[in-house]
Amino acid sequence: MKFGARLTILATVFLAMFGVVGIRLWFVQVAEGAQSAEIVEEQTWVQIRSEPARGDIFDRNGVMVVTSRFVPRLVVDRRFIDPDEKDALIQKLSGLLGVPAADIEAGYEAAGLNGRFPVTEISTDTAYRINEQLSALPGVSIEKLPQRVYLAGPTAAHVVGHLGLPDEADLEERPELDLNARIGKLGVERVYDELLQGTAGYSELRLNRQSEVLEESEPVNPIQGASLYLTIDLRLQEMVELALESGLFLANEVKDEDRANGQEVNHDAFRAAAVVLDVTNGEILALASVPDFDPSLFVGGVDAATFSALNESKAFNNLVVAGLYPPASTFKAVTYVAFQEENLPLPADLPQVAPADGLVHCNGTLRLPGFEEGSQQIFHDWYTGDKGWLDIHEAFEQSCNIFFWSIALGTWREYKLTDQESIIQTWARSLGFGERTGIDLTGEAGGIVPDRALFQEWKEYQLENPDAPARLEPSRLDLAEGPFLGGDLMNFAIGQGELTSTPLQVAQAYGMLVNGGHSFTPHVVSRALNRDGSIAYQSPSGFGEQVALSPEVHASLLSDMNRVVTSGTAAAAFRDFGSTLDRVGGKTGTGQTIANNDNHAWFVGAGPLDSPRWVVAVLIEEGGSGGRVAAPVARHIMQYLMGENPTPIVEGAAAD
Amino acid sequence: MTLLARPDAPPAVSDRRRNTPDRVLIGASVILALMGLLMIYSATRVGLERNNLPASFSMERQMIFVAAGFILVAVFSFVDYRELRHLAHIIYGGMVLSLSAVFLFPAVKGAQRWYDFGIFQLQPSEFSKTACLLTLAAILARPAARLEWQRILQALMVMVVPAALIFLQPDLGTMLIFAFLLMVLLFGAGITARQALVVSGVGLAMGIAVFQFGLLRSYQLDRIRVLFNPTLDPTGIGWNLRQSILAVGSGQLTGKGLFQGQQTNFQYVPEQGTDFIFTAVGEQLGFVGGILVIAAFLVLVWRLLVIAGAARDRFGALLAMGIASIFAFHVLVNIGMTIGIMPVTGLPLPFMSAGGSSFLNFSICIGIANSIWLRRSPVPGETIHS
Repeated sequence: MKFGARLTILATVFLAMFGVVGIRLWFVQVAEGAQSAEIVEEQTWVQIRSEPARGDIFDRNGVMVVTSRFVPRLVVDRRFIDPDEKDALIQKLSGLLGVPAADIEAGYEAAGLNGRFPVTEISTDTAYRINEQLSALPGVSIEKLPQRVYLAGPTAAHVVGHLGLPDEADLEERPELDLNARIGKLGVERVYDELLQGTAGYSELRLNRQSEVLEESEPVNPIQGASLYLTIDLRLQEMVELALESGLFLANEVKDEDRANGQEVNHDAFRAAAVVLDVTNGEILALASVPDFDPSLFVGGVDAATFSALNESKAFNNLVVAGLYPPASTFKAVTYVAFQEENLPLPADLPQVAPADGLVHCNGTLRLPGFEEGSQQIFHDWYTGDKGWLDIHEAFEQSCNIFFWSIALGTWREYKLTDQESIIQTWARSLGFGERTGIDLTGEAGGIVPDRALFQEWKEYQLENPDAPARLEPSRLDLAEGPFLGGDLMNFAIGQGELTSTPLQVAQAYGMLVNGGHSFTPHVVSRALNRDGSIAYQSPSGFGEQVALSPEVHASLLSDMNRVVTSGTAAAAFRDFGSTLDRVGGKTGTGQTIANNDNHAWFVGAGPLDSPRWVVAVLIEEGGSGGRVAAPVARHIMQYLMGENPTPIVEGAAAD
Repeated sequence: MTLLARPDAPPAVSDRRRNTPDRVLIGASVILALMGLLMIYSATRVGLERNNLPASFSMERQMIFVAAGFILVAVFSFVDYRELRHLAHIIYGGMVLSLSAVFLFPAVKGAQRWYDFGIFQLQPSEFSKTACLLTLAAILARPAARLEWQRILQALMVMVVPAALIFLQPDLGTMLIFAFLLMVLLFGAGITARQALVVSGVGLAMGIAVFQFGLLRSYQLDRIRVLFNPTLDPTGIGWNLRQSILAVGSGQLTGKGLFQGQQTNFQYVPEQGTDFIFTAVGEQLGFVGGILVIAAFLVLVWRLLVIAGAARDRFGALLAMGIASIFAFHVLVNIGMTIGIMPVTGLPLPFMSAGGSSFLNFSICIGIANSIWLRRSPVPGETIHS
């Protein structure tokens, strides 16, 4: 091959290679150019978020409960920090602020590649001191960031809730959340978080490669979150919380006395719950759960020791909505209504029951003969002695278990294995037992209404999962008619056995019973207003479905509830109520606990009976007798609600 | 017949014409150098002002090299290139010496590539390309019926020594140029297909050895890897490469206008006055400007190949061919790098990238090429005066 030919080949190769470069250039600049131009335009702009203040929270009378203030904080923005200078900067900040370098480092890593994170709250003095050095600290700024202020301290803590950093579950649910932004974790702070959060403002900066600002857009100001108006009356709330504390003190005094008298008492009481409900619309006027916590602890991040101590005492549990207890004798109102509305039969074969007269001999023990194997079963009532032959009204007033057991027994004998068997359960469910009320608070539990179907479910589960903890005794699994027994229905009728409910469910059921059967959704927030005054949220108002409660039964229940406080189990506790005693009523309850002898003390009160307006439910966990301990607490609160002068919380009579 | 063969020019050419330099070659070089000055100014002014230096600092500095370059073109045009053939072994020895001595100087940006003279850093590897070319051409131009194995081996040795020294600096791009030069010159010297096969085999084995024994630095491997996967390490090389492609791409068809464009002005592209100067062209002048620059280089390479075809002797022909290859290789690798089809190496864009050593070396190349042109063989019927 001649040199000339070789030269031609080389030239052709070069031409081809230049051609490839030219084609690629076309591709980069013309085919994909517009897209690149867009990216180039965007990548020079950086958005700086400005945090909005969370919305304020007011009580029903417009008293401010929670607000936000702006405090200077040192903010580090990773986007402005040269990775090579990161360590030096962190050391410098650590020295300036007295914050461990490891903490700043952790925040730095957590902030992500494009993140900003507030390092710490700083005093005004520190702010001034650091301000002078800011020019030497790229990516560091001092900003006034909103911080939550809980004006009422721990009052209504379980309603208000607290803030915290989002956890994995939060981020999964709301991926848009900033890792460093505090969000509501409990109470209305959580439930209404998106309303309270507000809208972030921002400004956009145009940066060169050295992160120097070349241009700045018109900043968009943040908008504070909506204001929340609670249904809570802060004064009543404070009063209820104090009353609960007094109730616990009383319970433990009584226990000490019992101990001195040689009775078996296990624990000191330290948990209690109370709720005051407006029965005309479901508004919660007060809601207290002891022990509580101070939401202010979470404002700057709570330390681990404090948190775990609070968590261990279950201070974050809102017992009103999350505590499950046997409603005990307070549940007799349900059996009472079912008995009268459904004309439930009393058993005809017992010497102490007179079905024709509707009377039962409340002599302390119910003897059941006639078991197939000839045995006899004895049910002991809570009292000793003989209260005589009582009708349903007197039985309610005196909380006579034998009467209510008889109702269950009669129903069982008459309707066993028919549709009517669960007639009392149906009433319980229609009054809200066994299902969450739907209150706008976190952690609500639903409770259990036991019946044949549920026991059957448990049985099947138990057979399929022999290693799981057993709910039913093994002997029940082999019964021909199924695991649900007459004794279960009898326990149910007096609010014991497998039946569990929250204090709120009990209050709700009484609310429906005293307002004539109207259902409602309990709620703690009435409305939320945007900054411009427009309505951001309005609570569902008005009644839902109505339970068919006849006026006669309604009236008799109200009058029998009054008899409870005038001559019944709570008469002693209501001794000094005042002139309006005849306008209030209630029901005591003493819930048996499986584990020990310390019963849960209940009282549910309602008033004014001529025009029912509110229901009060009080529960002292392991507080002892309802009449003795819970009734005085409720009475104290009811005195306040009736405009009476609340008298001291002193021991009532021991009664179920 | 072919564009590159000796022109079947007019039967008689006067002496004056014989002494006329290659106007197109010089013209294209001047246009590219002036274009380079403009783009250097455009690409460096913001950064210079940031550092409180005059905006035209880099451009003015480059102007000194452009002036010096003119002188070198004139000097090497005047010198008969055939004299260089006799000096080849001295030049080669000096080149190896200066490449070795570089290691006595402190490293700059992780590489020992420069002689620091305070105001001016001399980069001997730039000149070594031409020195090596001279030596290779001298060896391969010896009159012989065919290319013997002995000379191929000789050429290989001549190439390997400076290539190895430059590899140690390290400067992968320049090293690859030596291999490319050798290939082109062996081809021009009439290597047979069988010989080519053997040489390629040896080259391949050496390449594999370099990879196998981990002689490539990790960043060099990264630069190759990132070509195939641009999302690799978005803040490091991948990021640089991406910013470069974005800059060129965002210029679109007609560019954002001279001195416009945030990629250049906000300094999102690294080394934009030197190795990445083409990004400024792409962003500001668009596809039109970019393709014109490429066309200017194509004209330059075409003229160099024409000169190779017109050279009066084998030495001149191989020399011009090598010079054409040096230019072509630089242009293809440099521009290819900015648009993501070549690995990131430190090869400058001839006449345009800011930098003295490379500008001066390319000037010498043009001077030599012009010298070959001035002393080209006569067309039939022409009288030779030389």
